[in-house]
Amino acid sequence: MQHTTATMEPKAGTSSLRVYAVAIGVVFVTVGLAFLAHKLMPHASLSLLFLTGVLVISVRTGLGPSLLASILSFLAYNFFFTPPYYTFEVADDGDVATLIFFLLMAAITGNLAARMHQEMDKRRTSLRRTSILYEFTRRISSAAGTDVVLDALTDHLSQSMDKSVMVLLVNSGGIPIVRTSAGRPQTLDADVIATAWSLNSPDPIVIEPWHFLKLATKAKTMGMVAIHGQIDADQIDLARSLCDQAIVVLERTQLVADLEQARLVTETEQLRSALLSSVSHDLRTPLASIIGSTSSLLEYGESFSDENRRELLTTILEEAQRLDRYIQNLLDMTRLGQGSLTLRRDWVDLHDIVSSSVTRLQNALKGLVIDINISETVPLMWVHGVLIEQAVVNLLDNAIRFSPADGHISITAAARGDKIDINICDGGPGIPENDREKIFDMFYTVRQGDMGTLHGTGLGLAICRGMIAAHGGDVTAHDGHNNHGTCMRITLPVIRPDELSTA
Amino acid sequence: MSKTSQTILVVEDEAQIRKFLRISLEAHGYTVLETRSGEDGLSLSAKSQLHLVILDLGLPDMDGQKFIRRFREWSLTPIIVLSVRASEVEKIQALDAGANDYVSKPFGIGELMARIRAVLRNTDETLSTPMLFNSQGLRMDMAQRAVSVDDNPIHLSKKEYELLRLLIVSRGQVITHQQILREVWGPAQQYETHYLRVLVGQLRQKLGDDPARPRFIVTVQGVGYRLALSAA
Repeated sequence: MQHTTATMEPKAGTSSLRVYAVAIGVVFVTVGLAFLAHKLMPHASLSLLFLTGVLVISVRTGLGPSLLASILSFLAYNFFFTPPYYTFEVADDGDVATLIFFLLMAAITGNLAARMHQEMDKRRTSLRRTSILYEFTRRISSAAGTDVVLDALTDHLSQSMDKSVMVLLVNSGGIPIVRTSAGRPQTLDADVIATAWSLNSPDPIVIEPWHFLKLATKAKTMGMVAIHGQIDADQIDLARSLCDQAIVVLERTQLVADLEQARLVTETEQLRSALLSSVSHDLRTPLASIIGSTSSLLEYGESFSDENRRELLTTILEEAQRLDRYIQNLLDMTRLGQGSLTLRRDWVDLHDIVSSSVTRLQNALKGLVIDINISETVPLMWVHGVLIEQAVVNLLDNAIRFSPADGHISITAAARGDKIDINICDGGPGIPENDREKIFDMFYTVRQGDMGTLHGTGLGLAICRGMIAAHGGDVTAHDGHNNHGTCMRITLPVIRPDELSTA
Repeated sequence: MSKTSQTILVVEDEAQIRKFLRISLEAHGYTVLETRSGEDGLSLSAKSQLHLVILDLGLPDMDGQKFIRRFREWSLTPIIVLSVRASEVEKIQALDAGANDYVSKPFGIGELMARIRAVLRNTDETLSTPMLFNSQGLRMDMAQRAVSVDDNPIHLSKKEYELLRLLIVSRGQVITHQQILREVWGPAQQYETHYLRVLVGQLRQKLGDDPARPRFIVTVQGVGYRLALSAA
């Protein structure tokens, strides 16, 4: 409390001189008015006029100025308006009574006024604090992260007290580190921080010129607030309220982050095991054919007919190529997952992409009829060609997998407004309406359980979508031609050469 | 199969790959030298009369790109690079450093043999570029600057002609976008791949080449173009 008086006094001192001057001024004005009124009313009634002046002063100021005003008023009244005029002599006992009334009145009203002022000051302070708190709460209530809360806390503390403020949070090593600061830049020494941190006190820790407040929950101390310079009790209260608010929200955001982290860990774990089981299955299937065929050739090759030998060798080659595609998919998935996929865009002709996709799957396409129809309207595309090719290969691979023997696959492309549609349609069993979005979910086919019928890691479509999404496009599943089979549609935005500032 | 035995140096650290390369190459009548390290490869190539180097870019002791640069300091012997797929940058770097062509791992032996034949034929003929090219219905008479497809004369613009000539002269070897842009447009335009795509489109159209199933001009995604090997 000592701080309060220490800081309040000089303020009261400067304003009180002015208040006393005002008191004197008001008395002078009253004297003037009394001279004017003197002609209209008896001199006894003039005392009422002076009394009014004293009242005005008391309401406006406090006890001291009102007493001064009442004494001055009595003297002036006595000097100018009671006989004998222009002397301070008191001829009438009634005038003594008037003096006493003046003083009494001044004392009572002055006291009242002073109390009223105190009350109003308190109200004003509390109103200001409420509005600061309200504003602060409003700002942090929707805060998603720790940083937002800390920023808000520093801003509010610094602005409401007009001081330099720093907020420190403990790092993973348990050492408080300055996270945010506001106001005039100040330096805060590490050993000052360490000392403040080591002290344990509910009151602010004062290490001149700093005041430290702990940010503590019931469970642990999360950090500290450091305020530079002198602060009074009100300001400490305010700072503490702000800190309490901040802690509640910090606890909440911390909780949300922890939950999110826990969810992520579980999900990653699930994905990892799903991936491992699916990968080992998918890698083993072609390997089984390769090992079987090669060992047959090694052991009994001489007794096989040329035709059979050739057939086995072809199997080995095709299965090895399939293995290669799976591995490519895994690599792509890793790159997509790590976010390390950087687009190297260049001007690419869709014809080239389709042509090399078809070439890559030449063996698998044997026995199927494939129609390619790329409209004249399709412009050059500003894309990372290899990725788009991979996306088309994955869709085509799917179409082949679901096509009946001697089935029909069509690849068509056309511009539609500022988009390019690439459709890859097969005559397979089709996809039920409900599953058309799910198939892009990584490991959807894995979760379906029966992998014997659907080989493939289930990564293909997720990768395809990832790669197209990286280009700002989308992949969707639709009904096939004549409601038969499936059409997978890649949609990519058209970018014109003049839209690029510099190529 | 071979008249004069040509020598091929294989620089590859994977023993299994060296083995099947040696078996297949020797079966085609080539003499094969092999080593698993870049330094050995460089010293071997300094001592021997080589016709071709097959170089794996991922060597244990030396960056394949560095091998190419050092080798090119004294030798013009063609290099075919073996590189993993999905790294166009690496391939382009190797080609720019002086490699003549590349094959992506894993590869079929047929593809590698076709590249070897194209590269070797090319070095045989570089001294006397034939004035007349005639293959798979595509005919180019460089003295007359006349081009025809299946005996139908085709009128090409100057740039289209230049592009086609470049592809024909390199005989199935890949040419990077930058190489083509430098040759046809000049060094100032070497990053304007948009021009190149449009020009290739026009040329294909005039040659009646179905871009989805090209007969003559093959796109090497992310790297460049080559003349279809069947035509080369």
